[in-house]
Amino acid sequence: MTLKRCVKAGLSGLFLAVAALQPGQAQVPGVTADTIKIGSFGALTGPGYLYGKLPMNGIEVVFDQVNAAGGINGRKLELVREDDRCDPAAAIGAVKKLIHEDKVFAIIGGGCSNATVAARETLAEARIPVIIMASVHDGITTPVAPTIFSTALTSSLESAAMLQFALDQGAKRIAVISMRDAWGRSRYTPLIEAFQKKGIKPVLDEEMAPDANDATAQVLRLKGANADAVLVVLYPKPAAIFMRDAQKLGFKPLAVGQSGIADPAAFEDQVGSPGATASFRTISMVRYTPEDPAVDKWRKAIEAKFPGDRLSVFNLFGIGSAQVMVEGLKRAGPDLTREKLVAALNGLKDFETDVYPGGITCVETDHRCNKNPAWIAKEPGKPVRVLGVTKVE
Amino acid sequence: MALFGRRNVLVAMLLFAAVAPTFLNAYYLFVANTILIYVLLAIGLNILVGYAGQLAFANAAMFGIGAYGTGLLQVHFGWPFWLAFPLGALIATMVGLAISLPALRLSGLYLALSTLAFAQFTQWVFLNWEPVTFGAGGFKTPPISFAPLPISKTLGLYYLSLILVMVLFALAQNLVRSRIGRAFVAVRDGEIAAESLGVDLLRYKALAFGISGFYAGIAGGLYSAMLNFVSPEGFDLFQMVIHKAMIIVGGLGSIVGSVLGAGTLVFVLEALRKVKGVQEIAFGAILVGFILFMPGGIIGYLKEKVRGWEEPLHRARASRRPPVAATSESSEVRP
Amino acid sequence: MELLVYLLLSGLTTGSLYALIALGIVVVNKATAVINFAHGELFMFSGFVAWMLHVQMGVPYLPSLLAAVAFGFLLGAATDLIAFRPLKNANIISLVLATIGIAFMLRGTARVIWGGKGDYLPFPPITSPEPIMIGGIMVIPQQLAVLAGSIVIMVAFAAFFRLTRAGKMMQATADNAKAATLAGIRIDRIYMLSFGTGAAIAGAAAALMAPLTLLYPDMGFSFFIKGFAAAVLGGLTSLPGAVLGGISIGIIESLAGGYLHSSFIEVSAFIVIMFVLVVRPTGLLGSTRFRRV
Repeated sequence: MTLKRCVKAGLSGLFLAVAALQPGQAQVPGVTADTIKIGSFGALTGPGYLYGKLPMNGIEVVFDQVNAAGGINGRKLELVREDDRCDPAAAIGAVKKLIHEDKVFAIIGGGCSNATVAARETLAEARIPVIIMASVHDGITTPVAPTIFSTALTSSLESAAMLQFALDQGAKRIAVISMRDAWGRSRYTPLIEAFQKKGIKPVLDEEMAPDANDATAQVLRLKGANADAVLVVLYPKPAAIFMRDAQKLGFKPLAVGQSGIADPAAFEDQVGSPGATASFRTISMVRYTPEDPAVDKWRKAIEAKFPGDRLSVFNLFGIGSAQVMVEGLKRAGPDLTREKLVAALNGLKDFETDVYPGGITCVETDHRCNKNPAWIAKEPGKPVRVLGVTKVE
Repeated sequence: MALFGRRNVLVAMLLFAAVAPTFLNAYYLFVANTILIYVLLAIGLNILVGYAGQLAFANAAMFGIGAYGTGLLQVHFGWPFWLAFPLGALIATMVGLAISLPALRLSGLYLALSTLAFAQFTQWVFLNWEPVTFGAGGFKTPPISFAPLPISKTLGLYYLSLILVMVLFALAQNLVRSRIGRAFVAVRDGEIAAESLGVDLLRYKALAFGISGFYAGIAGGLYSAMLNFVSPEGFDLFQMVIHKAMIIVGGLGSIVGSVLGAGTLVFVLEALRKVKGVQEIAFGAILVGFILFMPGGIIGYLKEKVRGWEEPLHRARASRRPPVAATSESSEVRP
Repeated sequence: MELLVYLLLSGLTTGSLYALIALGIVVVNKATAVINFAHGELFMFSGFVAWMLHVQMGVPYLPSLLAAVAFGFLLGAATDLIAFRPLKNANIISLVLATIGIAFMLRGTARVIWGGKGDYLPFPPITSPEPIMIGGIMVIPQQLAVLAGSIVIMVAFAAFFRLTRAGKMMQATADNAKAATLAGIRIDRIYMLSFGTGAAIAGAAAALMAPLTLLYPDMGFSFFIKGFAAAVLGGLTSLPGAVLGGISIGIIESLAGGYLHSSFIEVSAFIVIMFVLVVRPTGLLGSTRFRRV
């Protein structure tokens, strides 16, 4: 029995010690006289790292440049990364750690859609300012959470744009091929809704797995259905397999991609079959492809900071969202509070970044701040060409 | 009795768990609740793998079925959590019983693959049965309410998990020391020998699968309430690896070991947040390290080095071997 | 009719990818009675090594392939040293988990080294990238190369097991490890040789398949699970069984996609396997070993 008492005494001692260690009510979490702590969550491991680790690398180079120029109102930016493995539970854990343990001031993050959707409630409850960098799911921004903004092109906007593009090109028999995972479904569902709004139906609705190595069955079915346009809701790998097999089997529809395949030059190499991408058009939430001379500055920064890496569109997602955060912090002024940052973000109007196709505009009632997808294409043997920037509402 | 003996340490852990919410911040409380849920998973899986010797890979799937069952019954039928939760666990138990059927004819790696195939099939159902499961995007579950008790959702769920862990831990401890537990061990150590001793293989294999399904189902229900969100990627093969790792790290064939393994694994996964970018490498290395340097798991180590850790069932044996060590005789059983 | 021919052919070519993976798994399992769960990662890692040599450094294809094979062998042997030799007396779950640990380490390392170089790295094909027409059917030459590769490897290994001393020793160890030890075979070496050889096959497979599959750090697992399924379907210890199993799975998937719907592709093979195993618990060509009481 003495033991129990010992344990109890020890525990209460521990409790007191922990209580004593808690910092006295700091005015603003994550902000000191010369630093601002910004958190980020996304997949650092597992297949989702493309949408987590790589944008975070982009954020890091933006922060480095800001810090080299003296920081924001004399405060240096500090990035804290947390891994969510693309898993909802790990995302909630990561976000709780950022808020309660690392005590960051604000967050730029969100890679995999399901993980971010799961974490949304925790983020909204904590009323911490968040800019979503890559997750596209509509449920993140609709209904509007007062402190959660998104510079990613949300999936309903993008899906509607895909369908409109195919119709504008005169397509009559439009088919869909999609991936049945969280990423694919967060685009597919609004895409089908867009079809319904137009009063049409896809002539055929096919699927491919993210790791598929063959698309013969799908191509033959689409060919049999006489589709003249295919909306390709796939990652670059299955999409490349699909384009390759389509060419093999002599099926040449208008193929419309989405921002998951935002680098047509890399995509042409991935397809690897000469001429197979001739009728491939894709959408991008950034204006430039990584090869574009206009992003030279960022290519150099990424390649210097992460030796061996090549600039990718995923880096650009991070760069754009970080620039928006930096602008918000600047506008919020020297007496930084979370409320001021949110107000500053809400006041952004046509803010031009180095990467997004159009200006960033956030209003209190709509936190989908990026509404300007760019259409890009690459004809065989020619450089990548921006076909135009659409403004969607 | 030794000061750091099994009972004292367990009591201290329990006391710590009981008062922890008073000084943990929201993040650590979340981690603590995760540990409790994983303890249930590890106990269930250890009964199936460590005691009954069935190399099954479907635990993550049953965990998922428990979570989906609990969540979907609330969402589709508007049932309260308190009704949906036990039913979800029951569904997982039924599924566990159903997979025991092929297990009767299969063993070793063939059983591993057929249960792996079942796990893939479950994932496919979660993804494709959209009218019911909401497909790949997952779904939100209604927040659990502890009214009329004056307790917040987070705290209530924590203590609910703690109480269930206590009850199910005691249940498992008694089970493995009973006739049933000895029958499981007999099945593990030699099916034909067990049969010749009058152990009904069908019955005991089914029972082992059913029990592990029940534990996974309970854990799944709690998990869905903790996250308020259920989606397929929470129950993939990485989840399976975590479950397997917990019982190996803790010690096969030990209920206390399951508790220690679950705690260690969740702790390691959270601690690895420190080594950003190389978590996977570190996780793999830690896993291999544990297997190489603590072949009997934490419990095996404690039994050997610390007084007062011998478990009654094993006291007579005092062996240094891991409980299911494949001896040269049993290696022929592997296909 | 044309549909069926195309579906069978594409099933055959995808199936040969699975068969190549399954062959490596079977070679390891035959001697050691374990499954190397890091097999997919050994495959992925060797593929990246071939990519680094061939694409980044401009080494010709054939030396790159040989380097991938050699590198695969070393990785396999290392897997044996780390995760099999010290654990021979441990239970099979520990063994499986140790190889899973190796898999995580390889995947993490690949992500650190190559993860920032692009989402899916292309690998130039050895054959002409243009599809060719054979008897009215269009095929991609690289697919034929993979099919030929898996048959060559199967035949070569069948000969190796029957004709060479090392092969016979591997066979003897597989049949009865104790008796083999008594006969003076150093079975530790045989185990290492088997792990190395299995991984070397994975290396060859990677260099052959990379132009078709592209390279990415997480590619290993999906190939491993299909290869494992193919190996089990074929009976785990039979080389022709592995090829038959791989091609069966490829064809099942292709037919399910063509005649049912493409959403059935991924799950069809697993459903079939669950049923096959219930009817024939040791796979299609597996031998039933006697169980000693």
